[in-house]
Amino acid sequence: MRSSAVSLATGYVVLGIVALVSFAAPLWYAWHVTIQDGRAEFLQSDAQRLTDIFRHDGAAGVKSNIDARVSMQIPGERILLLTDPSMQPLAGNLPAWPVGLPAVPGTYTLSIGTGDHSNETALMHVATLGNYYLLVGRDNKLFAPLEARFWYGLAAAVGVLLIAGLVGGFMTRRELLSRIHSIRQTVSAIIHGDLKHRLPTDRSGDELNTLSRTINGMLDQIELLVHGVRNVSNSIAHDLRTPLAELRSRLEELALIRPTTEETYAQIDAAVADVDRVIRIFDALLRLAEIDAGMRRSGFVSLDVAEVAAAAVEFYAPAAELKNIDLSFQSDGPVRVPGDPVLLAQALGNLIDNALKYAPEGGTIEVLVRRRAGGAEIAVADNGPGIAEAEKAKVVERFYRGDSSRGTPGSGLGLSLAQAVAKLHGSTLELTDRNPGLCVLLALPPEAVPMAAAPAPAAQAAPSAQTAAAPS
Amino acid sequence: MKILLVEDNERVSQFVVKGLQEAGHTIDHAANGRDGMFLGASEPYDVIIMDRMLPGDIDGLAIVEVLRKAGKRTPILILSALSEVDDRIRGLRSGGDDYLAKPFAFGELLARLDALHRRAQGINQETPLTVGDLHMDPLTRKVTRGDRHIALQPREFKLLEYLMRHAGQVVTRTMLLENVWDYHFDPQTNVVDVHISKLRQKIDAEFDRPLLRTVRNAGYTVIASD
Repeated sequence: MRSSAVSLATGYVVLGIVALVSFAAPLWYAWHVTIQDGRAEFLQSDAQRLTDIFRHDGAAGVKSNIDARVSMQIPGERILLLTDPSMQPLAGNLPAWPVGLPAVPGTYTLSIGTGDHSNETALMHVATLGNYYLLVGRDNKLFAPLEARFWYGLAAAVGVLLIAGLVGGFMTRRELLSRIHSIRQTVSAIIHGDLKHRLPTDRSGDELNTLSRTINGMLDQIELLVHGVRNVSNSIAHDLRTPLAELRSRLEELALIRPTTEETYAQIDAAVADVDRVIRIFDALLRLAEIDAGMRRSGFVSLDVAEVAAAAVEFYAPAAELKNIDLSFQSDGPVRVPGDPVLLAQALGNLIDNALKYAPEGGTIEVLVRRRAGGAEIAVADNGPGIAEAEKAKVVERFYRGDSSRGTPGSGLGLSLAQAVAKLHGSTLELTDRNPGLCVLLALPPEAVPMAAAPAPAAQAAPSAQTAAAPS
Repeated sequence: MKILLVEDNERVSQFVVKGLQEAGHTIDHAANGRDGMFLGASEPYDVIIMDRMLPGDIDGLAIVEVLRKAGKRTPILILSALSEVDDRIRGLRSGGDDYLAKPFAFGELLARLDALHRRAQGINQETPLTVGDLHMDPLTRKVTRGDRHIALQPREFKLLEYLMRHAGQVVTRTMLLENVWDYHFDPQTNVVDVHISKLRQKIDAEFDRPLLRTVRNAGYTVIASD
């Protein structure tokens, strides 16, 4: 199995070796050249001195000088040889002219191969003194260990690098594999339908942990959404079933009984009304989905909340009058906030419509627009039966209808739509008791940042909603 | 009216063609975008009904744009299964004059076509309106019936003005919501009916011949009785 940890370790080892070599190679080269040059120069000056002696005292002077020096020397360190024109040694510490060394002036490196200098190389300088040949040299014995030590050091460094890389890579791989394995197990459990699982995390802030926590947050959100979708589809199934069942029995009855023409027409009209009910529920659902997707923020303008509310109150006034309900409106004057006038009117309409349904004959409904925290707050208060504490969270859910509302017209989506609109505008609906009655508060902040459907960081929700693409 | 219907769904086309013919209109039907574009550009129609999703992934809006660029002024009603507010706005922006979401009631379609046709004929916004013995002067905002002055609230005035501008035609509740209140949503309850009955109280209650009538399954109409 290819493992990213191993290939990463291999990469680092190779990189380390390359760095080491690129550091050592020039160093070694410079060191080598400098030493070599210094020694060659030294040999040249030595040869020059002997040449001077030859000039004054002839071959005999050179011979006695060499003899004196050889007798004082530790053998092997310095090489000295003087030969006659036929290459026969006259003086020095070499038994014969080295094989392969040309009798031409110059500096050479070669193996000596004889006597106690066998298997060793030396740097040799050849000079001619008249018809005589002079050889001065120094073997490399002193420098070979230094050089060897350099190479050993380099090899050791490479070795340490290799071992550390391999062991580190192996251990990282084992650690990573075990953590990835547990993530994989969790994910496959989720794939098989159990959304309850979460990735293991600890308190450390390493990357894998941070990633796991982020993924867990995503899973929370997905679970919430799936739960919501499940609820909605159950509710849709229930709420659409009722009108569809009625429609079906109506049509079936028509086919069976074949009533009089007039009765048939009445039944057809009723059937169309049933279909219209279904369509209305669909429309409301689509609108909700549209608002939830946050796409409607494209419709945001600076609007006067008081004006929108006044228009809604005026629109519902005759309906209130009909029920003998006192529908009143009050405001602090114009309050401008960013918002979507169409959706706000619809949300407000739903709230007033709701209040109209529950307020008793001869009751009151107050619509108030106030300034609050730089933004606006709309309150719709009635003196109806109110909502029990336990039901408050449920009423804003899709299709939820209080037991008392069974039998009253409506899709059961009115409050959920108002809630969705509130979220789009960056707030939530607040339901409070008036004893008796219900007060629904809808706050509109001065800077509308849509609330995410679940506790997600607000900072992430804001820009994404703003750039959300409109449907094509 | 001479009407062009561009719609690929056979069932819907049949239903619309039959209904419009029964209402006394001449109707041409194009089942695809190419024919629709050709007919729309070459024949003089009073109104065009354009479906948005046409075979071959052609968006009816593209045809509308082409027709508009070619200088065609024919009123166009866009028909679409997409009912979202943004789609509506896009439909109107591309050059459509009205937008109707599927599924729709035939009465709604007919009423909107009539209104489009009437609007295209160009009405002077300042001309006094008269239906039977009911008079309205949009400039002075005075309404009289016979020799009696009728006091109306601003919104009631707007409602009556819209009805009188479409006198003799059926006006649906949705049309009233959109044009009188600028509400593009379903208010769930029959508030429009309540507004109408209040208006009826003022203009019809004390007179023998009612002008404002309810059209079953469709909406309302203001018409002078004969």
